[in-house]
This record gives sequence, structure tokens and C-alpha cells, in this order.
Amino acid sequence: MARFIIRSLVSTVITLFIVSIALFLLLEAGSGDITVKILGVFSTPEQRASYRNQLGLDDPVYLRYIDWLIGNEWRAERQVGLDLVTVEDPVTGEDTWWADVDGHLVRWSLEDGELMQMARQEDGSTVASPADVVWAVDENGQESFWGVDDKNNAVKWVRGEGAEVWVLTKAGMRKEGDGPQDYIPLRKGLLRGDAGKSLQYGRPVSLTLWPRVRNTLILAGVAFLVVMPLALVFGIIAGINEGRPIDRFISVTSLGATATPEFVTGIFLIMIFGIWLQWLPAVAIFTSPDAILENPLLLALPVMTLTAVELGYVIRMTRASMVEVMGSPYIRTAILKGMPYWRVVIRHAVRNALMAPITIIMLHVNWLIGGVVVVEAIFGYPGLGKYIYDAAIFGDVNAVEAAAMVTVIIAVMTRIIGDLAYTFLNPRIRYA
Amino acid sequence: MAVAQPTAGAVPSQGPSRWAKMWKSISIVFESRIATVGMVLVLFWVIIGLISLVWTPYPPNAPEFQQNLPPNTTNWLGTDHLGRDLLSRLMVGTQVILLKTRLPWAGLVFPIGVAIWGVIGSVLVGAFLGLNAGYRGGWWDQVTMQFLDALIAFPVIVLYLVVIAALGQGDLVVILAITVTGAPGVARLVRSLALDIKTRDYIRAAETRGESPWYIMFVEILPNARGPLLVDSMLRVGYAIFAIGTLGFLGIGLPPPDPDWGTMVNEARKNIFTNQWAVIWPSLAIASLVIGLNLFADGLREELTRYQK
Repeated sequence: MARFIIRSLVSTVITLFIVSIALFLLLEAGSGDITVKILGVFSTPEQRASYRNQLGLDDPVYLRYIDWLIGNEWRAERQVGLDLVTVEDPVTGEDTWWADVDGHLVRWSLEDGELMQMARQEDGSTVASPADVVWAVDENGQESFWGVDDKNNAVKWVRGEGAEVWVLTKAGMRKEGDGPQDYIPLRKGLLRGDAGKSLQYGRPVSLTLWPRVRNTLILAGVAFLVVMPLALVFGIIAGINEGRPIDRFISVTSLGATATPEFVTGIFLIMIFGIWLQWLPAVAIFTSPDAILENPLLLALPVMTLTAVELGYVIRMTRASMVEVMGSPYIRTAILKGMPYWRVVIRHAVRNALMAPITIIMLHVNWLIGGVVVVEAIFGYPGLGKYIYDAAIFGDVNAVEAAAMVTVIIAVMTRIIGDLAYTFLNPRIRYA
Repeated sequence: MAVAQPTAGAVPSQGPSRWAKMWKSISIVFESRIATVGMVLVLFWVIIGLISLVWTPYPPNAPEFQQNLPPNTTNWLGTDHLGRDLLSRLMVGTQVILLKTRLPWAGLVFPIGVAIWGVIGSVLVGAFLGLNAGYRGGWWDQVTMQFLDALIAFPVIVLYLVVIAALGQGDLVVILAITVTGAPGVARLVRSLALDIKTRDYIRAAETRGESPWYIMFVEILPNARGPLLVDSMLRVGYAIFAIGTLGFLGIGLPPPDPDWGTMVNEARKNIFTNQWAVIWPSLAIASLVIGLNLFADGLREELTRYQK
């Protein structure tokens, strides 16, 4: 058993690795110039070039993958020559980067050709003073200095040559003199819990992803709680009445429900309950982060849509397994020895028939994620699916990667749990 | 029948004539009521599509009528938000998924639709990987299965989104996406079949004759795995149509100008409060075609396994 778990975990890690590289290359190959999407089609080539430099997109792809995976402050520390540390910003909750100069946290900025040093105080504010730094002289006679700027980049300033950079502000691009020549956007890397900044929103992915994951887990969890009992009951009824009209009815209805795409089901439910009857809200508009907890009715139609699609599938599985068990010799023996029919069904058949559906449901989680994307798109539900959709369309590498990692982990973990549950339910199976 | 063609290959020449054999295998369908119903549904849409190639009531893309009309005597199914005839659009909508593939950059239009090419692609790739993994075993098997496990763990919808976001919209891209997402499933099926078939005596005989592994895999094993593979590909055509509809609904499906059902639903749902008909018809069309394919495949599987017993 332990060997099986270890092998599964190793396989999971390899899987995650392959998936992340594949995604990285795909997005690299196809998304074109991401700065056009961030800055808009009317941005000038200089603005785009400057912004590419600020995002570190000029680095080769393997280096950016390593940055994404394990971070890059080790690379920046070699340039700066000081330890780089993160401190949480008390206002935004985001990590900020500082250089550690003899126990004081410091950043720098170039103002009118003079380097200013900004020391961090206990309360989070900074005190500016002229910096007493030694400019390094390279072979061309240029005096340069690597430091940390106020936007969490390790940057290279060149004395007397403040570059003109385009800075993205809320009001658009602004041209600034005194800019650095080279940037390394600091990050810790995914393995240390930093998935980077969303290119679309400019906020750390790690902070924005979790509320979405929570919303989706609530949606999928409620759907699961609705689907399971219904599916098992209908599946068992169909299974013990094999070939009778009630079985035909349940089988055909569940086949229809499974084969109908989620968006068709969702649209029909919106038309019936949202437009004609006006019983339920037709879209899930979140007026506050906890809107689903305050108004559970928002969940009604999304859950119904997911249920309709999943229900049919699980019913079919349960029915098939029930039919098989009901035809087995030990059930015949139990009936022949005079046991009441219902006790045979409940005590002997159901317990054995439930093994297959439980594992298959676990394997089905992948399919469920696809359904969740569509359901969230229909109802405007702010969950993981919509997050992936928006990020993939934008070409937001960091957000897509992080969200895909979450979904892959969920899919693989449920598969392993399914396998383990099977060994507990079915003592005949042993993993060597 | 148009659906059955792709995997029907390698008919031995002796014995009853080719057509008699084909008819014999097709007539299995009529022994199952479920399969018959499914085939009627599928054939209905194939015929509608064929008719639409030569005739539609009105031009499908011309906004000639009043907007958002309910069904009436001129426009049998009503009109959409741009005043286009829904019946004509619905009919032409079958073409892109079942009957033709467009390559606008080459100015070419191929026969057979996007959904079916996608399934052919995944069967070819999947059969290649599965045969190698199953027949050769060992190192081939380990690497292939690890690779496929990664692909299977990959949420299909994310793969679709990323591939299309990366490579742009287009028939070829959708075919590619369906191929990549379908291949792992086919490969697993073919692998398990190959593991079973390779223990048979006729494989031993071929090996003794000194046939090459490629000959054994593609001439001896693959034709003997065609039954389950055929049923599986039928289901996959259903999934593919399902997926194309979903992509269209998400706004990244098959590109215009030809109407596509998923895209029709997506455009019409913005006006769902004023005009429900434009949403209902394409939704019903997708659902009925996918259900038809599922029934067909299910019935066929039931009949085939009955013969095996």
C-alpha cells in the first residue's frame, strides 16, 4: 500500500511537471505579444518594448520557466550583492521586496540623476535619504548600480544615463526619465507558494486565485451532495427492475441528460426558472465576496445545471453495476433461501454494487471541471472555471499555469483517493 | 454510414462478397431498437446537411427579415437578432461539424466535417501509441503511459482554451484540439485490446514467420480490435460535437462565416429575454445529434458484446 501511494505521488509530480512545461510552451508559442493585450492596440512600439523589459519578457523562455518554478531572487542577489527579503504590505497583503543592508530594509530610486535610498520603518512607511552607494564600473567605463526599486524589481541603473521608461499607471502609460536599464521582476516561484503576478490584473495570482477556488468548491460540493443520493437511488431502482418500463425510462432520461451539453441544459433552466416562471435568479451576480453564503438562491440554477449533467452519468454507472450484482449467484442463493427481497437488495446487493460508482465518480472529476467552466460562463459565477477561461483567452501565463496546477492536483488526488477507496471497499484488490 | 466509414478497413477478399459482408455488419444496427433510433437521428441531420449543400430556404447569412420573429409561415423557425432565417442557419450548421472542413488560408474546403476529422486524428494517434505500448511493452509502455496519464490529468477544457487562445480560431485548430484530447482515451483502449490480442496464437504464428513488429501491430492486431474501437469512435464523434458546441458557446469555436450551432446559441443568449426561439432551436439540434450518436453507439455496443458472449 505504501509503495502504491509513493508511486502515485511520484507519478503526480511528473505529471504536474509535464503539464506545466507543455502549458508554458503553448502559451509562449501562440499568445503573440502579450504587451499588446495589456497596453492596448494603440500603444507605441517603444511603450511595448519598455514594458516587455519591465516584465522580464526579454529573457529566454527556459530562464522564465525556471523563474516561474523556483523564483529568481537567487539570480538577482548575485547582481545586487545583498540579501533580498520579502515583507508583507500591511495595506494590500501583497509581498514586497527589499534589500537587507545590515539589518535595515532598503530600496532605491533615481531622482534627477541622484540615487535616493528609502529605508523601511517599522510602521511600513519609508524615509528617503541620499544613498551612499559605490557605483560599479564595468569594462566600458559605465558606472552602474543594481538595486531594488519600489515596484518589486531588481533593476540596474546607469549613472548619468537615466533611461526613458514607460510606466503603466491607472491613467495609462506615463513617460519617466531616470529609469533603469534592465529589470528582473522579483518572485519566489511556484514551489515556494508564489505563482507570480497576473498579467491581466497586475495582482499576485496566489491572492486572487483562492477566493475563486473556494467559490468553485462550494458549487461543486453542493452539486455533489445533490447528485449522489439521487443518482444512487435512481440507479438502484433502475438496476433491480432491469428491462421493465421504469428502467427504460430512467435509462433513456439519464442518457439524454448526459448527452445534452451543459450550456444547453443551463440555457433551458434559465428560460424556465429565470424568465418564464421568474422563481430563481438567472445569473449569479456577486455583490460581495460572500454573496453565495448570504443568498444561497444564487447557487440554485448553477447547481441544477451541473446536477442534470452529472446525474445521468452516475445513474448509468450505478445501474450497470447493480444489474451485474443482481445476476450473481450469491444473490440468487439469498433469494432462494427465503430472505425477504428488500433485505437481499439492501444488505447484499447494494453494498457490493456501490463500489464501482464510487471510484468512477472520483475518476469523473476531470469531466466535472470542464462542466464547471461552462456553467460558470453561463451564469457569470466567479469561480475557478471562469478564472481559467478569462486567463486563457488573455494569454495570462501566470494565472493559467497556477489555475491549471490546481485543477490537475484536484484531478490526480481524487483519482488516487478513488483507487484507495476501492481497495478498502473491495478486499480482493491489493496493490503491491 | 457516413460515420462508420473511417474505421472500416481491411475486409478480407474471400468468402461472401464485400457488400454482403458490409450489409451483414450494418444490419446488426437494426437488431437493437436503441441503435436504430440513434441512427435515424444521426441520418436525419446528415440528410439535412446534404440538402443544405444545394438548397436552403433563404441565404443563411443574409439579414433579410425583421429581427427576433417567432416561428411563422415565411420563416418556419423564426429569425435571429440580425433578422436572419433560423431554419437556413440551422441547416447550414450541420455542414461545418459533419460535412466540410474549411482552410481559408489555402482557399480549400475538404469533405467530412471537423468533428469527424478530429476523431479520425485521435484514433490514428491513439492507435499508434496504444499499439506500441501494448504490443512492445516494457520501456515503451512505461513512457507512453506516463505521458498519457499527464494528458488525461490535464483538464480537457483548459487544453481546448489554451490551444485555441494560442493558435487562434480555425477549423484545423479545433481538429487538432480534438485529436490531442481524444488520443489518450483511444490509446488506453487500444493498449488494453492489444495486451489481450497479443496472447493469441495467430500473433505467435506471425512472429514465427518473422513478420516485423509494425506488420503485426497494424495488420494483425489493429483489424482484430476494430469492434470496440468503432463503438468508441462513435461515442467520440458525439463528444467532439459536444465540445465544438461548447467552444462555440464560449465564443472561441469554429470561425464565421458559416453558422455553427454553439456560436448561434452564444449570440442568441444575449437576447434571451426577448427571443427564446433563437436559443431553443440550435440547442435542440446539438442535443438531438449528440443523443443520437450516443444511442447509436450504446445500442451497437450492446449488440456487439451480445455476439461475443
